[in-house]
Amino acid sequence: MRKSTLLLSSLLIAGSLLLSACSENGNTDAASTDTPANTAATADPGAAAGGTEAPAAPAVVPAGALSEPFTATDLTKLPAVAQKRTDTIIVGLTDPSGAFTPYFQESGYDGNVSSLLYASLVTVDDKGVPTPELAESWEVSADQLTYTFHLRKDLKFSDGSPLTADDVAFTWTIQYDKAYDGGSSLPSLKVKGGEAYKAGTAESIDGIKVIDPQTISVTLEQPNATALVTLGSNVLSKAYYGKDYKFGQLEYIKKLHEKPLGDGPYKLEKFIPGQEVRLVANENYFKGKPKTEHFIYKTTTGDAWQFLETGEVDYASFPATEENIGKLKELGYVNILPYTPSTYGYMQVNLKHEQLKDKRVRQAIAYGLDRQSIYVDAAEGAGAVANIPASPISWSYTEEGINPYKYDPDQANKLLDEAGWSVGAGGIREKDGKPLSIHYLASKSKNSDIFIAVAKENFAALGIDFQPEIFADFNSLVSKTESGDYDLVSYSTSMLTDPADGFMQFFDGEITDYENPKFVELYNKALATTDIEQRKAVYKELYQLFNDELPIIFTNYKKTVYAYNGRIQNLSVSPFIGLAGSLPNWTLK
Amino acid sequence: MSTYLTKRMLYMLIILFAASLLIFCLYALTPGDFITGNIKLTAERKAELREIYGLNKPVLERYGTWMNNAFHGDFGYSLAQQKPVLQLFGDYIWNSFLLAAVSTFLTWLIAVIIGVISAYKQYSWFDTLVMIAIFAAMSLPSFFIGLFLIKILAVDLKWLPPGGMMTTGSNATGFAYFKEVVHHMTLPVIVMTLLGLGSLTRYFRSNMIDVLKQDYIRTARAKGLKERKVLFTHALRNALLPAITLVGFELPALFGGSIIIEQIFNWPGIGQLYMKSFGLRDYPLLMGFTMFLAILTVIGTLLSDILYRVADPRVRL
Repeated sequence: MRKSTLLLSSLLIAGSLLLSACSENGNTDAASTDTPANTAATADPGAAAGGTEAPAAPAVVPAGALSEPFTATDLTKLPAVAQKRTDTIIVGLTDPSGAFTPYFQESGYDGNVSSLLYASLVTVDDKGVPTPELAESWEVSADQLTYTFHLRKDLKFSDGSPLTADDVAFTWTIQYDKAYDGGSSLPSLKVKGGEAYKAGTAESIDGIKVIDPQTISVTLEQPNATALVTLGSNVLSKAYYGKDYKFGQLEYIKKLHEKPLGDGPYKLEKFIPGQEVRLVANENYFKGKPKTEHFIYKTTTGDAWQFLETGEVDYASFPATEENIGKLKELGYVNILPYTPSTYGYMQVNLKHEQLKDKRVRQAIAYGLDRQSIYVDAAEGAGAVANIPASPISWSYTEEGINPYKYDPDQANKLLDEAGWSVGAGGIREKDGKPLSIHYLASKSKNSDIFIAVAKENFAALGIDFQPEIFADFNSLVSKTESGDYDLVSYSTSMLTDPADGFMQFFDGEITDYENPKFVELYNKALATTDIEQRKAVYKELYQLFNDELPIIFTNYKKTVYAYNGRIQNLSVSPFIGLAGSLPNWTLK
Repeated sequence: MSTYLTKRMLYMLIILFAASLLIFCLYALTPGDFITGNIKLTAERKAELREIYGLNKPVLERYGTWMNNAFHGDFGYSLAQQKPVLQLFGDYIWNSFLLAAVSTFLTWLIAVIIGVISAYKQYSWFDTLVMIAIFAAMSLPSFFIGLFLIKILAVDLKWLPPGGMMTTGSNATGFAYFKEVVHHMTLPVIVMTLLGLGSLTRYFRSNMIDVLKQDYIRTARAKGLKERKVLFTHALRNALLPAITLVGFELPALFGGSIIIEQIFNWPGIGQLYMKSFGLRDYPLLMGFTMFLAILTVIGTLLSDILYRVADPRVRL
């Protein structure tokens, strides 16, 4: 009797709570925890569900959204579990798989872990500008081809063994091995002699020269401004990872994935699959031992809320919706940090299709889609409208001479008229007897549902026949795109470090039909120099060109908030390197 | 019996072989492969990697390679997890098994008890209320009841942990560890039991009602046997017979993991790993795990046939 009454009454309560529970569930997938560092396969297309801070963003920030950090109001509300921790900080991470060797991992979450286990030669600051780390300085030759790195003195791996230029040379070399199957972009830098090594015709890579234990230089075949950061990444110990190395055989490294030897702020204490990655402070870290002894990445596949509310994790990220921000403020014991990820969302345009070859049609779509409603209002403020291929947090970002393409159906209709598409039977525009039809692809998400609902009306108002198609997962979407059967497809970029990354899809074979000599010229010009001010000027020109030409149609930026235990001091999150930069300084109050 | 067994074994092998081919082709023909989703790679690098992984070869050739390796005990290397498939099974399956075994046991126990009582007191207030409650429990979506209980018991009342298998950072061993795991598995077990209870209770109830109408029950009562003995020895044993078929189906479920429950309760089980691998097209892991389930299903049906023979002498094989 009692059991059934209980069930019945809980059912009644359940009914009333259903709505709120559902919306909470809807947020679940977006509310992952730490941002994947170099995410391989997690780009979420259709995009947009996070972030707030709008540094002079074009979009109107709705009232209630967070524009500056919020400090915890009442630390006494902190759950006892979190109150008790004195030398341990716990951060949720969706799914580390245990492959902790840099360059050999497939999951961006493993990248989050290895970014704490390994330090880099060169890192980037909050704007993405390269700054020294293990290398105290570097020189680039006048022809922009030779990079010389000067390592700091007395660098050590976590086991106390010395870190020298030989280790750096080894790290670069194995990425040119023919058996190397990782996703590093170093092989595409074209280091001199790299191809010969890969083919097995050279014993070593010609372009890599160890000058003395503290100095190493590398020569490229062609200039590339992203080379500095790519070359200046993590260093693998030759004594540890290279002792069994023979050309063409890298199988043995797989056995070392769960036993990493690094030089970063933390070292691995224990990995429990599906549950935790336990790290402990590295006393040999070159900046000195981190202030908090233990750091744990906890696998959190479900909702982040339940763990933050019970104090099981100290840090979590959420889409910057008004609802989320309100709820977090109410908790009282979390500090909230607004954050814009270094990505942008766009629609890839099928430039093989006659109708989209005309720039005016592409511009008409940009004017005719109510992007403000789709990406900002419907996302409860957790987004902003994008108009250039760079995130607002990049040093290259500009709004000068950029057309914001504010929603303007009249302008869109005018452009379509000019392009020769006249309204025909049934209100659909036609040209030479062919109707103007848009086949749109996206993968399943809350945002693509919103997009389709709004776009249907928007396109109808322009006299465009809109045919959306939704895919269950990302791989099938990409596969359909590759088949060429589409007009528009929604994507989001992976994390962009260098502004050049924002144009990557035009160079890695995804978009092959945009032919514009001026674009290629400017793109190369921007890469041919490492001077930031010069590059800024070139990118401004490039962004203006893209903003006008729209070879891809820009959609949105995400906006996120990080919420963390108010006891943690000195926390900051870099859009490019995540927590890794500030983590060694975190302390518990 | 032994000819029957030989014949069954032969069928099983053929079924498994056909299933493996079908499953392999299904996975291989799903749009997109493991490399497709990595948007950071250039087209040349993608081609190079497909060459290294053998993804550019015809499906049948890939199947042949997989089968050949499997016969040699090598179930491959997970592309996404960068670990041997068998090691991953070891890491995750037992966690799923723990949840499933406990909740299956509880489900059966409670279902039998409630089923018997409500059949015996058919149309009583107890029966009616239990049936309403059971329908209610059956129609609740698992994610909802899961999140609801987390909200009440973990977040608001703080009686139980909100998820995971142990306290984060805990170094407990022995009995302390056992206690910790029990504490953490309470919520998921409650939800899984609640969800499985409905259909099973109704199954036992209707079986029991049928049996209670049989002549031998009337005879037993007429002999003057105690009601308890009639109910639990004569009636229940016969009512349970058809349930043996179900036992066979439970076998793969015991090891297969529960995708939704594991996701909600952050349980380190195989179900959520499988789900993720599907999105990533991690063929070796998908293939290995699906075949593992296929083998369990085939063994499960064989097992229930044999058990049926043991329990009911009227059945001949």
